[in-house]
Amino acid sequence: MYFLAYPFANLMLLLYTFLGNSTVAAIAVLTLLISLLTVPLTLSQQKSSRKMQEFQPELEKLQKKYAKDKEKLAQEQMNLYKKAGINPMSGCLPLLIQMPIWFGLIGAIKYCIPSTPLDLFKFSQHIYKWLPGVEGLVPLQSTFLGMDLGQPPSMAQWWSYALPVLVFITYWLQQKLMTPPTTASSSDDKSQASAMAQQMQMMQTTMPIMMMFFTLSYPTGLSIYFIISSLIRVVQYYFIKTNGAKTK
Amino acid sequence: MNQFLTRRRYMLLAILAALLLGASGCSGSARATSWTGLNVVGDVLYAADLERVQALDVTAGDPVWTFPKDTEDDGRGIFYVTPAVEGELVVVASQVPSSGFFSRPRNIVWALEADRGRELWRFDEATGQYVEGGALGGGLFVIGNSDGNVYALDVESGDLEWQFETGHRVWATPLIISDTVYVGSMDRHLYALNLSDGRVRWDFEGGGAFAGTPALRDGVLYMGAFDDKFYAIDAETGVQLWIFSGENWFWGGPAIYEGVIYTADVDGNVYALDETGKQIWRKVLGTSVRAGPVVAEDGSTLFVASEDGTLHALDAADGFELWSVKGEGQMLSPPVVDGAAVYVTSIYGEKRILALHVDNGREMWSHPPVVEEE
Repeated sequence: MYFLAYPFANLMLLLYTFLGNSTVAAIAVLTLLISLLTVPLTLSQQKSSRKMQEFQPELEKLQKKYAKDKEKLAQEQMNLYKKAGINPMSGCLPLLIQMPIWFGLIGAIKYCIPSTPLDLFKFSQHIYKWLPGVEGLVPLQSTFLGMDLGQPPSMAQWWSYALPVLVFITYWLQQKLMTPPTTASSSDDKSQASAMAQQMQMMQTTMPIMMMFFTLSYPTGLSIYFIISSLIRVVQYYFIKTNGAKTK
Repeated sequence: MNQFLTRRRYMLLAILAALLLGASGCSGSARATSWTGLNVVGDVLYAADLERVQALDVTAGDPVWTFPKDTEDDGRGIFYVTPAVEGELVVVASQVPSSGFFSRPRNIVWALEADRGRELWRFDEATGQYVEGGALGGGLFVIGNSDGNVYALDVESGDLEWQFETGHRVWATPLIISDTVYVGSMDRHLYALNLSDGRVRWDFEGGGAFAGTPALRDGVLYMGAFDDKFYAIDAETGVQLWIFSGENWFWGGPAIYEGVIYTADVDGNVYALDETGKQIWRKVLGTSVRAGPVVAEDGSTLFVASEDGTLHALDAADGFELWSVKGEGQMLSPPVVDGAAVYVTSIYGEKRILALHVDNGREMWSHPPVVEEE
């Protein structure tokens, strides 16, 4: 999972030297760069989601029309996707591809601001010495606003608990914006849509809560990554929405 | 289909969440985060052995005592740092893992009776992990912590006498000589502190983090850093005398024998230098080395433990490999030489402590002892 961690960690070292030895700035810019790199994937995922929303009424009509013939329904749905130019897998695939990238970023932060000696020792043999200015850089300065970015939040720095809360808020916002609303035209559809809406609402709340709890155990440097990456996705969403509206 | 895809998306998020859970260490599996250390005083070997501290008889490896006696009911955390021993006192440190999302690991220094392993006092005010051991001297126990502080504790009571804050983690074992404490920090500084009150006498800024214990000879401190440089510094003034360039970080402390300085970088290059910083020989081990080398009592052999679980015995005169023994797991701590035996500890192995003959590497005993199957 961490095969991208070493290149990302070295990129982070380089950014650290160019950004006035600021670890937080290096995390932010690294997250931004990686997000830009994955823009095509995110765009495809978000466009697919939006197209799905647009074709929701037609899909519901088909569901109603072929309620008793599942095979025909599937065939007609596929025809509709084909006609509309939607790849049904395009919503999931980008997520799968992005997973190693996320883990690479998490690994990079763990190596550059190590909380354990073994992490640091592992990284010692993977620093690209040919990069300018990286000699003697590791471990990076890990203090930010009095918090140790290499350690989980603690009562000794009580304000560090603000970071998991911010992770919750930004992740919730991101989830809310990205989740397509469910619509229904008939009473049958309404009950189905209501069940689905409930399920989505539950996910919208539980995922950010889970993320918040994870970050309570993670070094705070990772919380900063999660916050920034969520904010970038929110900005991307608005960018796509605005551009989508203009092109209509 | 749309519902199916939406569900699938959430399923992926759930998988990601599960992976994050595993990565966060909440899955229940305890993984080592550091390496264990050992020390030999008299006929007893004192070892930090993960869930316990072991005192073993050096001749056969038989347990003298363990602390705590019952790790199941009386968990005192995970012990990594090298025990410091002086007179009737053994001082160790452990990290008690957090028990939930809102609890934090506790980091505790324990003072034990050397002959029985009974607790004398404890100190739990540091907020970070203890990585290397502390040093005893002048009635104090001095140890660095990941919270960036150097703590000096009264050996009788465990009371905090003074603390000194550096700019980064302190993972190096301090060196106490007379009334001075020399300690390196990840903030790239080597500090000389008054043993009595922790005030700075001088500090030397290098080009990388200092994570090893310096060695002192004839008023000169020798120490490597994470900028791939090995430094010679005037112990009185903190003025740099010379620099030697290695291939990668110098992590472990050097060893000195009759004017020859032995050191190793993490790439596995072992160097013998003279007192002017000129290289006498270099041996490439071809494997990573975290800990510093150790010289045999007669100065003839140099012992280097490597990450791949091998103990290398090199001819101190030219670096020629005399013998090597492949143990289990990773050997990341410096070996200890005592008379005819060399002791080494490893992590991730079944045999965590090995006692080998200095002449040929023959195994004398191992710990835990191998149970013969009937």
